[in-house]
Amino acid sequence: MSATVLKNISEIRRFFHRNDDPVYFISATNFNLLGLDEWVKNFKYICYIDCYGGKHPNVFCPSEQPHAEFQSIEDINNYLLQHKEVIDFIKRRGGKPKFVFLMFDEETERLSKELGADVWFPKAKLRTKMDNKIETVRIGNKAGVPSVPNVLAEVKSYENLRATCEKAGIGHDLVLQSAFGDSGHTTFFIKSEADFRRHEHEIIGEGEIKIMKRIDCRGSAIEACATKEGTIVGPLMTELVGFKDLTPYRGGWCGNEILSTAFPPKVRQKARELTFKFGEQLRKEGYRGYFELDFLIDKKTGDLWLGELNPRITGASSMTNHAAFAHADAPLFLFHLLEFSKKKFELDTSELNNRWANPDMIDSWSQMVIKHTDDNVDICTASPETGIYKMLEDGRVVFDRFDYHRRAVESENEAFFLRILQPGDYRYEGADIGILVTRGRSMTKAFQLNERAKKWIHGIKRTVDGKPLAVAEAGPALADPAFKIL
Amino acid sequence: MLWRAISEEQPGPKWAGLFNEYWPDYHRWWLKEGDKARPTYAQSRRALTTHMPEIVPLYDELCELAGGGDHAARFLSFDTPPAYLAGCSQAIWTGKEPVMVRNYDYKANAFDSLVLHTGWQGRRVMGTSDGLWGLVDGVNDAGLAISLTFGGRRVVGTGFGVPLILRYVMQTCETAEEAGKVLARVPTHMSYNVTVLDRKRNYLTAMMAPDRPAIITHAAVATNHQENVEWVSHARFTATVERERFLLQRLTLHRDPEEKFIGAFLKPPLYSTAFNAGFGTLYTAVYRPRKREMELRWPGTVWPLSLNEFVEGGRHVRVPGAA
Repeated sequence: MSATVLKNISEIRRFFHRNDDPVYFISATNFNLLGLDEWVKNFKYICYIDCYGGKHPNVFCPSEQPHAEFQSIEDINNYLLQHKEVIDFIKRRGGKPKFVFLMFDEETERLSKELGADVWFPKAKLRTKMDNKIETVRIGNKAGVPSVPNVLAEVKSYENLRATCEKAGIGHDLVLQSAFGDSGHTTFFIKSEADFRRHEHEIIGEGEIKIMKRIDCRGSAIEACATKEGTIVGPLMTELVGFKDLTPYRGGWCGNEILSTAFPPKVRQKARELTFKFGEQLRKEGYRGYFELDFLIDKKTGDLWLGELNPRITGASSMTNHAAFAHADAPLFLFHLLEFSKKKFELDTSELNNRWANPDMIDSWSQMVIKHTDDNVDICTASPETGIYKMLEDGRVVFDRFDYHRRAVESENEAFFLRILQPGDYRYEGADIGILVTRGRSMTKAFQLNERAKKWIHGIKRTVDGKPLAVAEAGPALADPAFKIL
Repeated sequence: MLWRAISEEQPGPKWAGLFNEYWPDYHRWWLKEGDKARPTYAQSRRALTTHMPEIVPLYDELCELAGGGDHAARFLSFDTPPAYLAGCSQAIWTGKEPVMVRNYDYKANAFDSLVLHTGWQGRRVMGTSDGLWGLVDGVNDAGLAISLTFGGRRVVGTGFGVPLILRYVMQTCETAEEAGKVLARVPTHMSYNVTVLDRKRNYLTAMMAPDRPAIITHAAVATNHQENVEWVSHARFTATVERERFLLQRLTLHRDPEEKFIGAFLKPPLYSTAFNAGFGTLYTAVYRPRKREMELRWPGTVWPLSLNEFVEGGRHVRVPGAA
């Protein structure tokens, strides 16, 4: 490749169009960076779950696999990087490999080095530090991005928690978060001693905990990329949170919507400004590249509070990277790759940010992550495959055609479904069934699931089937007190 | 399986009878790597004196009742016995009353199926017996309950077989805090997760191992791994991660009444009938330390036992798939 400086979006796009070095996204599925292979030559996905049944040309899954017993995405990635088929695949394709991940740890870095690959993210150690919710508050404070009224403290007992909150003046209707964790697993709503007991094993002995006053708010997400030329900010998205049709986790993330009018212009503008400031502070802290912020928007006042920072790509990245601006200019993640490519570039980030702030740059989409929400366990015998689905007049949802492009969805009567749960898998409360992407909104103005979304969820779920696990029966007590007397 | 519940205030003829009955099998097992693979009597007694001095007089008394032989005494010391594994799940109910529920997953033919109620050394203890005076779960008159699960690690080292460590805790401790100190201190020869729950609803789980210091956690759930899965095939085989995830979800997502919570242990995925593969659920035990009560349960059956009003008895239990 030429050593010249890339001077505009057109040259950046061409640069990736002709990219020689193999770039790999290694993760459980390719969902987060869906479609990026079409912007970057030599971009491949290495995945644990084949959502496409072998039909996606750029997805590679090792064929010989144990049944899932992983505790985290990091575990999956570390497993993949040691798999012979994966190693052979990377070696066979040659070049100097570049790896991107959703999650990784120091072991992943070590394994990547063994394979002669560069990890195109800041170091795991720095990311872990930034990911810590308590550190996020501190960075936000430095950047002038305020967090919900909170106190950071260790919790020893319920009495101790009450005392801490009284001192901090944040009342007793609380949201607690431990330093790490996501999607509702480590967010606890605590109002009473009984609430506390349910979660005490996750709170006591976990070190400093973020204790917040519970506010009546809407969740929102915004993604950005910190580059040497400044922070580039994506659109403000709504968050789907805790809907019972989608997730058993109270407060758990279950999707997003992107639409230009989801929030008033003032709120959108404010969120963009705060995200920019936060990104500039991240650069000062040594972090660069892609990140996501959650903002909590007070329903009454419209005030914006910093919820959390994810120093990585996220479940919403697919939304950001398929927005209209991404097609008009380039997906946000392309700037992340650019930042790590060591290629020289010049970019007027404020011009870009202004353009992306234009409502015309957004068309309306939503995604829903559908989990098994029933309180039972069985083995999946049937689940809908990846592709385009149609909703019939009578509300039934039927498979129409295979596709791996979400833009292939033509109307609001069609949807793209990405399969995660496969026949043979355990189906338990909280297991991911798949992700449904539709055009248009899935929530009402009051941020409740709309009728159309409910129909889609129901339509997908009714095509999932399972068989019960074998149930044991020990006979009732054969009362026989005359046991062998010694 | 013939299950028996036996009470004897002080070591005596009943215990001696039990010893005679179980000893031939235990002797064969204990000798399976040869006599030289096991510590000597002198070493074993010294180990007991160093780590569990309070129960040495009781040990001496039991050795006497067992006939005073060298092998029997070495076996009864639980000092670095042959390796053994088990499955198991255990959890503390999140309601107000202190309640601990556990499944014991093991081979049916290598299990004592015996509840022992004793008043040894002036302390009343009842629990599920292993190796004649060891325990795999139990409760004492101070209102402290205890239970173990295998820690899912292959490492075998020098230390005590864990059932004796549980017995020692029952004989000498009154609170979860005291038990935590003992569990952190006494060496174990394999990895185990030991959960204790006291009458004030304080609890802790000690992740014990022969090759590293015990980790004392506030975990309310323990299955067959410690902080990370290390022995992948065992983990997969016993579905330890699934069971843990399932239990954690039960604890945090549901407001299960006590009965419903206990019921979850008697159904898959916690309840296992994989006996042909080596391990199945032999029983579910429920401990209520404040009331000094325990129950043994099988699907459709509840056998209540009380520390203060203990009634001896027996039952034939037919667990499908178990020989």
